[in-house]
Amino acid sequence: MIEIVEILSAGFILIGVFLFLVSAFGVIRLPDVYTRNHAASKSSTLGIMFILIGTLLYFYYKHSHFDFRVVLAIFFIFMTSPVAGHLINRSAYHSGVKMWDKSVQDDLKKNR
Amino acid sequence: MFDLLLKIALLGVSLSMIGFLYRLIKGPSVPDRVVALDAMGINLIAIVALASIVMDTSAYLEAILLLGILSFIGTVAFAKFLEKGEIIENDRNR
Amino acid sequence: MSFQILLNVFLAVIWMFLKNEFNGSTFIIGYVLGLGIMFVFRHFFTERFYLNRVKAVIQLTLIFARELILSNVSVLKVVLKPKLDMRPGIFAFETVLTKDWEITILSNLITLTPGTLVVEVSEDNRILYIHAMDIADKEEAVDSIKNTFEKAIMEVSK
Repeated sequence: MIEIVEILSAGFILIGVFLFLVSAFGVIRLPDVYTRNHAASKSSTLGIMFILIGTLLYFYYKHSHFDFRVVLAIFFIFMTSPVAGHLINRSAYHSGVKMWDKSVQDDLKKNR
Repeated sequence: MFDLLLKIALLGVSLSMIGFLYRLIKGPSVPDRVVALDAMGINLIAIVALASIVMDTSAYLEAILLLGILSFIGTVAFAKFLEKGEIIENDRNR
Repeated sequence: MSFQILLNVFLAVIWMFLKNEFNGSTFIIGYVLGLGIMFVFRHFFTERFYLNRVKAVIQLTLIFARELILSNVSVLKVVLKPKLDMRPGIFAFETVLTKDWEITILSNLITLTPGTLVVEVSEDNRILYIHAMDIADKEEAVDSIKNTFEKAIMEVSK
C-alpha cells in the first residue's frame, strides 16, 4: 500500500516540477513582460498545487495525519496567484512598458 | 527509489530557480523583475515542501503558509509602488 | 440566506434537546434532518433555498480547476513551440456583471483561462481590458467567458 502512495505522490511532485521548468523556460524565452506573465502566473500556480498535493498524500500515509496547513496553503495560493498576476500586468502597463513588436491590437490605448 | 525521485525533483526546482534568477538579473524592465521575484517566491514554497519530505518531518509546513503570504504581499507592494510611486497612500479617493 | 442557516442551526439544536445528547455528531445529524425539513418547505421561504447556492459555488470551483488545467496545456504549447509565431494583443470585453466581488471573481477566472490575462478594469467597472496571448483565439475566449463564467457567477449571486 505504501508503495502505491509513494508512486502517486512522486508522480504528482514530478508533474509539478515539470510545470515549474516549463514556466521558467517560458519566462526566459517569451518576448515581453505581458507574455512572460502568462507563463509565470499560470504554470507556477498549477505546479505548486501539484507539489503540495504530493506532499499532503505523503504525510497522510506515512504519518497518518492529515495536515490542514497544506490545504490552507493550496487554497491561499489558488486565490492569490491570479490577483498578483493581474496587479503586475496593470502596473507594467501604467508604467509604460512597451508591448512586443508583433502585437497586433491595443484597445486600452484607444480608450484612454 | 522515492529518495532518488525527490532529489531529481529538487534539482528540477533549483534549475527553474536559476531560470527565474536569470530573468531577475537581466530583465530589461522593472515589472519583468517583479514577475521573476513572484515566481521565485512560489519556487521557495516548493523547495520547503520537498525538503520537509526529504527530512521526513512536518515541522516546516508552517513556513509554507508564511512564504505564500509574504510573497503575495511583496508582489502587491511592488506593483503598487511601480504604479503610484508610494505603497501606503493617504488619499484613498483616487 | 443567513436566516435559513440560522433556522437550520436552530432545528439542529432542537434535535439535540430531543435526543438529550449534546455532542458534535448529534448536532450534525440534526443539521442534516433539518435540511430535509427545510427542503420540503422550500417554497415557503421568500428567498431561494440556500443549498442551491452552495451547489452553484461548488460548480464554480470545478470550473476554476478545469480552466486552470486547460490554460496550462495551452501555455505549454506556446512555450515549447520551436518558433514564436503568436500575435499578442489587448482587447476590450464588456461585462454584464455589476457587483464588485462578481467582477473580481470573473477577472480571476479570465486570468486562469487559456491565453488570457486581465490588464485593467475601466473606471465604471463595465469594461475589462484583456491581454491575449494569441489574438486569433479572441472569439473563442469571449464566447467561453460569456457562456460559461458569467452564467456560473450569476447562478451564485442571483
